[in-house]
Amino acid sequence: MTGSLGLSALIQASLPSAAQPAVIAVGAVYFAVVIGISVWAARKTRTAADFFVAGKGIGLIALTVASVSVSVSGFAFIGGPGLMYAVGLGAMFIVLPASVTNVMGAWVLAKRLRLLGEARGLITIPDAIGARYRSPAAQGIAGVAMLFGIVGYMATNALAMGVVINSIFDVGLGWGIWIGMGITLAYSASGGILAGIYNDVFQGTLMAVASVLVFFFVLDFGGGLGEISRTILAADPAFLGPWGKLTPLAALSFFFVFSMGSLGQPQAVHKYYMLRDPLQLKWYPLLKTLGLVLVLLLYFGVGVGVKAFVEAGRMAPLASPDQATPSLLLNVTPIVLAALVFSGVAAATMSAANSFINIGAAIVMHDLPVAFGRRLKNELAWGRGVTVLIAAAAAITAQQSGSMVAFLGIFGWGLFASTLVPTLAVGLNWQGATRAGAIASITTGLVVTLALEVAAYRKTFTFPAGVTASAVALVLSFLVFFSVSWVTRRTAASSIDPDVRLVMEM
Amino acid sequence: MLVISLSGIAVAYASAFATSGIPGWAPWLLAVGIPFAIGAIMILGATRGRQGIGPLKVPFAFVVVTLALGFCAALILPAAESANSTLWLGLPVRAAIVIYGIGLFPTIVLPIAYALTFESQTLTAEDVERVRSLARGIEQSESEGIVDQPGPTS
Repeated sequence: MTGSLGLSALIQASLPSAAQPAVIAVGAVYFAVVIGISVWAARKTRTAADFFVAGKGIGLIALTVASVSVSVSGFAFIGGPGLMYAVGLGAMFIVLPASVTNVMGAWVLAKRLRLLGEARGLITIPDAIGARYRSPAAQGIAGVAMLFGIVGYMATNALAMGVVINSIFDVGLGWGIWIGMGITLAYSASGGILAGIYNDVFQGTLMAVASVLVFFFVLDFGGGLGEISRTILAADPAFLGPWGKLTPLAALSFFFVFSMGSLGQPQAVHKYYMLRDPLQLKWYPLLKTLGLVLVLLLYFGVGVGVKAFVEAGRMAPLASPDQATPSLLLNVTPIVLAALVFSGVAAATMSAANSFINIGAAIVMHDLPVAFGRRLKNELAWGRGVTVLIAAAAAITAQQSGSMVAFLGIFGWGLFASTLVPTLAVGLNWQGATRAGAIASITTGLVVTLALEVAAYRKTFTFPAGVTASAVALVLSFLVFFSVSWVTRRTAASSIDPDVRLVMEM
Repeated sequence: MLVISLSGIAVAYASAFATSGIPGWAPWLLAVGIPFAIGAIMILGATRGRQGIGPLKVPFAFVVVTLALGFCAALILPAAESANSTLWLGLPVRAAIVIYGIGLFPTIVLPIAYALTFESQTLTAEDVERVRSLARGIEQSESEGIVDQPGPTS
């Protein structure tokens, strides 16, 4: 749920070296398991549907854990606790939306996407947009918009992987990037989404275990949450105010973007296609919410814990906020716990990268040809080829300057939100939405996000405190969607096929 | 409700660009607009034809009110955190409202409401079969060239 923001923080954290025997051993075991799962999955992948949506054959538990895994990224472990250490409780407004987003996604998207997959054999999110609006143009524009976001996400994930692998194995940043992307590419290209899903299950489990262990360690070390709060309140009461050191507008803005925006994150909503039995959706939100709560315990625990330990003199002051988790792990917790968390961070970045490689490949070899009225003959072979190209491009981009790559990642979340949420989440539930409204909304989201983010990056424009490009683009995209749909409402009814209408009315 | 709440959020953001600084009412618009926008989009997704949202109106109202009250309480309660503050489950009052009220209550209520109403409000085996049956019919018609091919046209 916090991908691009957190990856940028992770990139700039430049983790200290953790290359100790226990950390290297746990890291080596982690990579061995990933490779083993990938070999198994490659043997089971025979068709394009296997490659891109696992042949709609994933069970409830596996899909839930995999979805948790791709939803959090390395931010939950490094950038988030660091942000919390810096700004206090206001940083929680990035993760608090998890209390509603999973059920919101289930009500708004899960059933309809899964049933559309059943009726039409859809394999991508732009596929659903094309089917809903009977529009290859909308499908193609959505695909192009998503590619912009994926380029950013992939480059930041590649660099974040390099940072973590370098920290574990001390191989240098450049080699870390190539090793991480090489392994991710190997399982993405050979086993497609099936390898991705089962690696996500392993990686998500590792992340949850590491998070819970660190959370309870922090509580124990600090004498309980009450004692930790007392220590912080004595030194810095504003830290535990409801907005922390953010303005109310900034904190609430986080909540808006990360709640509504969750409905447009393709790495999460794409998973709805894959559930073996649509009726298993019944328990999906409950299980995913519980999983997310477990993975996010570390975010809160380390954020408040390190603040209290530094204030009490039990830890040295941090060189930078992003050192909160690494400093705690390397100086306070048992080394095995540190090893688990470092592997967990590698897991988070690899699972996100795999998911985006797969989604990007599907857009290039499926959605864009459909937009131009063509179909590729051997989608599986093309899928594997494009996967290699995307991974190589991401690794090469990741070798550029850190600030440039961080910038590329920053707009990923907002771009997906502003281009997909109105068209997909509202469009699949409101028969008044029109093709023109969808195309106008996607275009608005793409143009406004890119223009505002580039202007902010080049410092030619400064937002007022608490306002972000993502929030402005999302609101504008919504309003354009409703306005253009209203103006063109006479065409609304004619743009829905009978099977799509049936799914929308259920 | 979705359009109105999003318009309120848009006004709050627009007001932040005022040269005189962010007006005091802007956070209030977000504090009320966000819960209503979330509630509205959930209602849109959960509405099942003429059946509406049925018993889901209770959990939806609960969540909208909980979020709105939580945000507004955080805005209106005085900033009185100190070393002597009363703690609720280990946190000062305003922090506890945010973490437990906004972060935990909906976590418990919404997924359980979704599961308990799944068959009546969301999906049944008959629904799945209706979709499969219609898809089979369209596929058969296409293969026999009886009807226009459904799917993207422009």
